[in-house]
Amino acid sequence: MSYLELQNVSKHFGRLAALDQLDLKVEKGEILGIVGPNGSGKTTLINLISGYFKPTKGQVFFENKRICCQRPDQITKKGIVRTFQSNVLFPGGTVVENLLISSHLNYNTRSWHSFFNTKKWKEDNEQAVGRAIELVNLLDLLNDIFLQADGLSHGYQRLLGIAMALTANPHVLLLDEPTTGMNHEEAMFVVDKIKKINEQGVTIILIEHNMKVLLGVATRVACLSFGTKIADGMPEDVMNHPEVVEAYLGTEVV
Amino acid sequence: MMQFFKTIHLMDYKNIVPKLVIGLVVAAIVLLPVVTKDVVILSMLIFSGLWAVAAMGFTLVLRTGQFSLGQSAFMAIGGYTCAILTVQMDFPFWPSFLLSGIISGLVAFLLGVVVLRVGGIYFSIITLALGEIVRIIALNWESVTRGSRGLVTSSPLPISIFGWELANFDASPVPYFYFMLCLVAITGVVFWRIGDSRLGQIFAGVALNPELAEHQGIHLMKYRIIAFTIAGVFTGYAGALYTHFLTVITPMVFGLWQSIQAMIMSIVGGISSLVGGPIIGGVLLYGLGDRLSRLQTPGLSQMVFGATVVLVLICLPKGTGLVELWDKFWKKVVWREVEYEHDEMED
Repeated sequence: MSYLELQNVSKHFGRLAALDQLDLKVEKGEILGIVGPNGSGKTTLINLISGYFKPTKGQVFFENKRICCQRPDQITKKGIVRTFQSNVLFPGGTVVENLLISSHLNYNTRSWHSFFNTKKWKEDNEQAVGRAIELVNLLDLLNDIFLQADGLSHGYQRLLGIAMALTANPHVLLLDEPTTGMNHEEAMFVVDKIKKINEQGVTIILIEHNMKVLLGVATRVACLSFGTKIADGMPEDVMNHPEVVEAYLGTEVV
Repeated sequence: MMQFFKTIHLMDYKNIVPKLVIGLVVAAIVLLPVVTKDVVILSMLIFSGLWAVAAMGFTLVLRTGQFSLGQSAFMAIGGYTCAILTVQMDFPFWPSFLLSGIISGLVAFLLGVVVLRVGGIYFSIITLALGEIVRIIALNWESVTRGSRGLVTSSPLPISIFGWELANFDASPVPYFYFMLCLVAITGVVFWRIGDSRLGQIFAGVALNPELAEHQGIHLMKYRIIAFTIAGVFTGYAGALYTHFLTVITPMVFGLWQSIQAMIMSIVGGISSLVGGPIIGGVLLYGLGDRLSRLQTPGLSQMVFGATVVLVLICLPKGTGLVELWDKFWKKVVWREVEYEHDEMED
């Protein structure tokens, strides 16, 4: 069985099938790109894996264990962490405050240690702050840590969102359209960071609307349309797959 | 949403003068009974201190993003627990008092497990209903609560050490006054540490963006229940002391208006501070209400309270309340510090 595997997963909202009997395998260490037109079920897929939705049918396995029907925080503890498309921050805080709140899993001492400000808590806090600084450094946010997070530019906010997801020490990172609303240059900057994260051994599932972004980064691409998988394979092959072209551009009318 | 991060600690300033001012105010309050044993002044301070504790409870629950309208219900639960144990079961006062907060916290915990699943406006409505449920139970369970006649409590026995009488609760309100100060101090220290510790950070995360917090591994229910339970415990203690100082509890003592009063005190004092804001709000508004109620005009204090909230929210729209004025006074008026704002940042 693969590292992360979806077996025959369906999600219905009333009579609408957002995902319909989807099978998907993710291998350790790869960057899997998921493309598809609007409403094809990409975000639903992430919501299912991260535990935000429960599937109507089917199973999700991670490291040979079922992770269906667990709460999002339990799934995060297992090492599957997601980012959001919008609403990525804790509004009102600085960058470093945002990172520290989201570093929940880096704090190993129980709450009462921090209540009494024990030595153990101080060490723990130092180590969590160190980890947060390491991550901002990785994503080139170091100059901004004392700035108001919701005052950052859109691109930096998205990067901060990724940094916050990384504070949970993921094995699998689910990125929900990390480059929306960016120009090509900014998108390439983010893609570069995604590669860097992958080099550290993190498996990445990258949802992307724009296939050109995926070309440089994904090792494999799957294309969704109306909740079903219509193509799966090398990025170039998927891009030229007739069904994919049809899903994006429609059929030729002669 | 600034107020969840911008925590103002009244003691935070490096300069000694503001600390000195606070120290003097605290010392003056502690030594007040030496100067005056006036029942009117002391009882006003006792009640306002107890309301400050209730307002602190409201602020703590608000810090996790929940709007509790059940503060008076927990005061009633604490008050009735203590009264039933001492009057109906002839328990001594001190263990009954200890139990009152624990029972109130237990009710908060059990209710939280069920209700905090929904959260948001539903939570407010259910806590509102809780107040009514407690009132109706108190009214109708005559064998235990004596219905609308209420329970008349007696004062705690005098405390004496080696024959020297330390506190006589029957003779004057002074022992109650120090009792209240102890309760406010303990609650204040506990809440200050909560706000300052990792718990405070987690609460901010849960309040500001619950979805994101949950996907970062924070168990939302757990932390909401923790805040609600702690608030329930201390509000219960305030209710028990309130009941014994008033010497009577009836179903009419703690109602919806009292819950709203705790909320108004918290908002007017400022929710950016877990301790200072509710205390300022509690003392000012209870004092104001007390003065107004002497004018014998029904509904006047409600009107004035409402107007105060509107005024405070217009003048200090970030929800930082009157405690912000203290902050501004030292920073801008006294030290003339320039505040650098990072709110707007160029791309």
